[in-house]
This record gives sequence, structure tokens and C-alpha cells, in this order.
Amino acid sequence: MKLALRELRRRPGRFLAATAVLTVLAVLLMFLGGLLDGLLAGATGAYRAQPADAIVYSTNARESLVRSRIEAPIRDAVEGVDGVAEVGGLGSIQLGARPGSDPDARELISTALLGYEMAPRGLPDEPPGEGQVIADTTLKADDIEVGDTLLLGPARTEVEVVGFVEDTNYAGQTALWASLDTWRSVTEANRPDRVFADDAVAALVVRIDGDASSITEAIDEATEGATDTLTLDAAIEALPGVSQQRSTFNQIIGVTTVIALVVVGLFFALITVERTALYGILKAIGGSSRTLFGGVLLQAVLLALIASALATAAAVALASVIPPGTLPFVVTGQRILTSVVLMVVAAMVGCAFSLRRVLRIDPAAAIGTAS
Amino acid sequence: MFLAFHEIRRGPVRFSLLALAIGLLLFLVLFQQAIQNGLITSFVGALRNQSAPVVVFSLDGQRTLQGSTVSDDIDAKVREVEGVDAVARAGQGTFTVTIGGGDATDASILGTDDPGLGRPSELSGGRRAEAEGEAVGSEADFEVGDEVSVVASGDGEAVVLTVVGVARDVQLSVEPTLFTDLATYEASVRAVNPQAPVVPVNGLFVRPADGVDPAELADRINEAAPDADAVTREEAARTAPGVAQIRQSFQIIFALYGMVVPLVTGLFFLIVTLQKARSLTLLRAIGARTGVLATALVTQVLAVTFLGVIVGIGLYRLVTSGGELSSLTVRFDPALAIGWGIGFLVLAVVGSLASLRRVLRIDPMDATTGAGT
Repeated sequence: MKLALRELRRRPGRFLAATAVLTVLAVLLMFLGGLLDGLLAGATGAYRAQPADAIVYSTNARESLVRSRIEAPIRDAVEGVDGVAEVGGLGSIQLGARPGSDPDARELISTALLGYEMAPRGLPDEPPGEGQVIADTTLKADDIEVGDTLLLGPARTEVEVVGFVEDTNYAGQTALWASLDTWRSVTEANRPDRVFADDAVAALVVRIDGDASSITEAIDEATEGATDTLTLDAAIEALPGVSQQRSTFNQIIGVTTVIALVVVGLFFALITVERTALYGILKAIGGSSRTLFGGVLLQAVLLALIASALATAAAVALASVIPPGTLPFVVTGQRILTSVVLMVVAAMVGCAFSLRRVLRIDPAAAIGTAS
Repeated sequence: MFLAFHEIRRGPVRFSLLALAIGLLLFLVLFQQAIQNGLITSFVGALRNQSAPVVVFSLDGQRTLQGSTVSDDIDAKVREVEGVDAVARAGQGTFTVTIGGGDATDASILGTDDPGLGRPSELSGGRRAEAEGEAVGSEADFEVGDEVSVVASGDGEAVVLTVVGVARDVQLSVEPTLFTDLATYEASVRAVNPQAPVVPVNGLFVRPADGVDPAELADRINEAAPDADAVTREEAARTAPGVAQIRQSFQIIFALYGMVVPLVTGLFFLIVTLQKARSLTLLRAIGARTGVLATALVTQVLAVTFLGVIVGIGLYRLVTSGGELSSLTVRFDPALAIGWGIGFLVLAVVGSLASLRRVLRIDPMDATTGAGT
């Protein structure tokens, strides 16, 4: 072990290339992970903020908030189910927005206007008044402040921003939270084909007392199959693009980890070949294969940790210089920890390929070679 | 040359393993490229392979038909633009449907009021839709004769479409897609939402007059109607939301694979070179020129990589022979295979530069001292 550490201290240059490549790969892992977390946060914020255990869609909507519509009799049936503690209406419409000060702007802000009854995290219990919205903080990146107005959709329906709330975006678009009445009137003005009656909503958010999975089933039974009720976690996973983004990015992260494994594997195989004679001598004077391989393993883990530390610093620096609302990049402790673990595991598995070579070294033959 | 091939013959396993690794990497790249192309075609095939050279969205639609609403004002202004030959109004939406009474599924319905515009340019089976309620469907999802029912809500009246023709690569938003008349589309919207007072037009499909360039006509339309967003068919497909993200994600994957190839081949040949350092030193001592040894190394790299390329392209050919994977169209693209094959050869040679440097630095004097091993 001491020998391995001393080699790292005395000849850092020989490990420089591998450390540099591993650092690049670790940065890539953290960047991809941060991008995935940012994209998912932007897609799911509106649902994660819900103070609910389940979301009720109409069956025909096939779990799509855009296509779902719940009429009053269905809502009554849901409210009557044992275990349903509280029910709130939810509505959404995705529209391009122009700043009130620039009604002819051709660059639009992508927004999702969400009408609510049960206040999501960070929003007041009483929804904003007619024509008023509370916007997600990402809107600040478009220089919109409290008191400014936005013109929504082709009808340029005016709404006033009366406050901001954090981390509530929906489908990658800036969330604007409003009352159900505001949502209905904006929808009617801009998408008459999707107009809702005064007592209809797109979906219901439900707070449950008891076992969520059995009560979601009870809700669908009570509505005679007119609804499709999902637990909040399942509803988040079913949001458009969430599972696809997750699987695509996880695939890229997996490939990057394999690359790290291959790099470490080949690098230490190379180092072991170079040290064959040296290992032969060490074995001849009593060094065990376990000690020798332990040294290789220690070096691999240290290289991975150094690369991870450098990459973490780079990722944090990157997150601090990215302006809010531009690149969806988020650095979380969990993501960094996962990336470090992946790098260390890749390094350990990669250098394990050298184990066979270390075990096979014959001290006598190796000394002969050295001479 | 002789040395290079002789060594490969003597140690076929280690070189075969490298060739196999390279082959698998190339296969993964080509396969993912095929998936990327299939995915993009599934996203925007309906726009790319429809008959109108110019597509007009509302500016608010942000290049999606479903999000766009074209007002009567925009419609009128577009029709007045010089160089416009014909204009079709279009509506598009995603609906829950059943095919032949089967399970409910999502389908995109695109209706236009001119059968010559906004419909698939070529059919792969059946005939074009002529009467109300007839439709041309995406080949991967429908067969001629299918009865497709739009599932109605509340008091809505169910709408049934009959598939009379099918076309290849005409999906929209990775959904089964049906091309029909505007009235059938409007009936579908009312089936889902009977309360809808009007069904807005989502886009316009425009045919330029003879001799008018589509891109120039799109510019003219944008100038005449500031709330319109007119683009050529190709640009509509290229800039559709989601397409750029798909390309970006896959480019990252490809770049990673591109990094692996020189790393794997480079380190492999460096190890091989180190293992035979003594023999190479001896060869130099008995008069072998550096050029001969370097040529042998590059020949080995090229030969092994070439073998890998053959394996990779063979696997790619095999997997794409079905033409379809989970309802995604995947096709064998010879130009793509050759391009990536050459790319891999270049990357492998680049990766072996470190070994080459090592070979060039061999000192024949080391043979007398035992150094260089």
C-alpha cells in the first residue's frame, strides 16, 4: 500500500493522462446527471409541488392532463369515496406569452397556465384574483417582475404577475399559477376547441387518508371506469417525456461509466505490464499477490476520487455561472454522490482486469526478464 | 506487412477480441443512428412527407400544429400573398381511438380541406381518401380496411374513420397518424369536447405558384402576416420541438463512442507493443528499419479495425433487415455504414499514435543491455 502511495507521490506524471481522461469522464457524468435532473425538475415541478397523494384523469385522456376533462358528476363521485380527504380541481393550457410592454414580440416565452384550488407548495391557499398569476421564478430570466403584465396566446389575453414561486414548472415550460376561473377564461379566449364548463376541470388532485393504492382503485370503481387515478409518483412518471428522458440519459450515463471502466482497465493493464519485472522482484522478496493487487486497486480508487473531486468543483462552478432559466442544469448532492460512486466502482472493476496478470507473475521468470 | 499478418495469425484470439470489441462499438453507433433517424421520422414524418412545400403556423404555435391556431385574418392575408397557388386549412390533434374495437390507443388525426395539400405525397398501399370519413394511415400502425373509432366524451358522438390507404414514414409526434378531411377532424374534436363553440384551424398548407421558390414564399407570407410563422416543409420538420433535443442527446452518445474507439485501440496496441518490446529491439538490432516496424503496426491496426468494421456493419445489416423495431422504422443506410466505418479506421490510427511513437523511439543498442523491455 505504502509503495502504491509513494509511487503516486513520486511519479505523478505517469498517472496524469489517466487522471485527465477520468476527470473529463467524471465531468461528463455529472453534467449529464445535472442536465437530467434539471430537465426532470422543469417537467415535473407542478406535480411535485402538489399537496396530494393522487391525480384523477378522465379515462379517455390516457393519463394526459391536456386531454383530460372531469365533469361535476364525476367529481361528486370522487368526493364521496371513503378515504378521500380533500379534492381540488386542476387545469392547464400551454401558450406562448409576450411581455405586456412588447405585444408584437416574435420571440415568445413558453408558459403553462395552471388553474388550482388546493394550493401547491409555496402558493397561497386563496388563488390569485381574476386576471392575476403567480409565476415560477424562471420567468425572471425574461426580465419579468412583480407588477408586469403578460399577453397570453394568440388572443393576447392580459394577465398580471403578482408574485413568484420556486420549482413549479410544467412540461419544461414556465408555470403561471392562477384561479380556475382565470384558467377557464384564458382557455376560452385562446383555445375555444378546449373550452371547459364552469364546473368542469381538467383533472382532480386528491388528498387521501389511508392506503393510497387501494383508494385510487376505489375512486375508479366509484366513477364506473370514467376516471383513471394515479398515485402522485405514478402521475409524475407518466408525464410526457419524463420516462423517455430518464431512460435516454441513463443510457448515456451508463455508456460513460463503461468508458471509464475500459479506460481504467486498459491503463492499469498497461501499468502492470510495465511493472511485471518489478512485481517479480517484490514477489521474490516475499510480497504477496494480494498486497501487489491491493496497491493497484488503491491507485485506481485514488485516481477516481481525484478525478471526481476535480469534476465536482467543475460542476459546481458551471452551475454557478449558468444564468437561471437558460440551461436546465441542477447540481444536487445525491447526483454528485452517485457519480462519484459510479466512477469508483468503474475504477475498481476496471483495474480488476489486471488481477489475473498480477497473480500469474512468476518471480523467477520476472527476475530473469529484469536482468 | 509479413510481420504484421504473421503475428495476427499466431495470436488470433487477442486480435479477434479487439476486432469484436470494435465491431460491437460500430454496431452500437450504427444501430443508435438508425434509432435516431427512426425517432425523428416518427416525430415529423407527417410534415416532411406531405405534399405542401410551405407550412404556415401561428407564431404562438411555436412550430407545433396542435399548439397553433390560425385566425381568419391570417388565413385571408396568406391567400393574398403573391406567388400563392393554393391554400389548405388544416386541423390536427391527438385523440384516444380504438382500431377495430380493440384496446384504446393514442392517434394523431390531421385533417385538411384540400386532398392535394397536407396529405402524404406517396402511398405504399390502398388509395387516397376521397369521401368524408376516409383516411390514409401511417403504414406502421394501420392496414387498409381498418375501422378507427374516436372515443367520445360525455354527450359527444363517436366518429369512425375508415383507412383506405397507407403511407410510409408519415407519423407525427411518434403516434399512429391518420390523414383525413377537415370535416372529419372537426367532428373528432366535437366528439371529445361537445361544448367546443368553434374548432380553430391549426395551420395552413400552401402550394407556391409555378416558378416560385418555397423559401421565398415563406418569407413573403411572414412579411404580409406578422402573426404567421411560415416555413418550408423541410424547415418545419427540422425545427419542430423535440427534434433538436433528440439530435443533441444522440450526438453526445456518438461523441462518447468516438472517444472510446481511439482509447481502446490505442491502449490495446500500446500494451501489445510493450509486451513485444524486446523482440522489436532485437529486430532493430539485426537491421530492421524503423519504417518497417511502424508499417507493421499501422497495418495491424488497420487490419483489425477493418475486420471490426465488417463485423459491425454485418450486425447492423442483420438487425435492420426487419425494417421495424417496436413500431419504429429502422433502415440499413449504406452511406452511413461506410462513413462511420471510415471514421472508425481513422480514429483507430489516431489512437495508435502513442504505440507508433514508442516503436519509433526503439534504440537498437538496448538489445545489448537488456533495456527497452
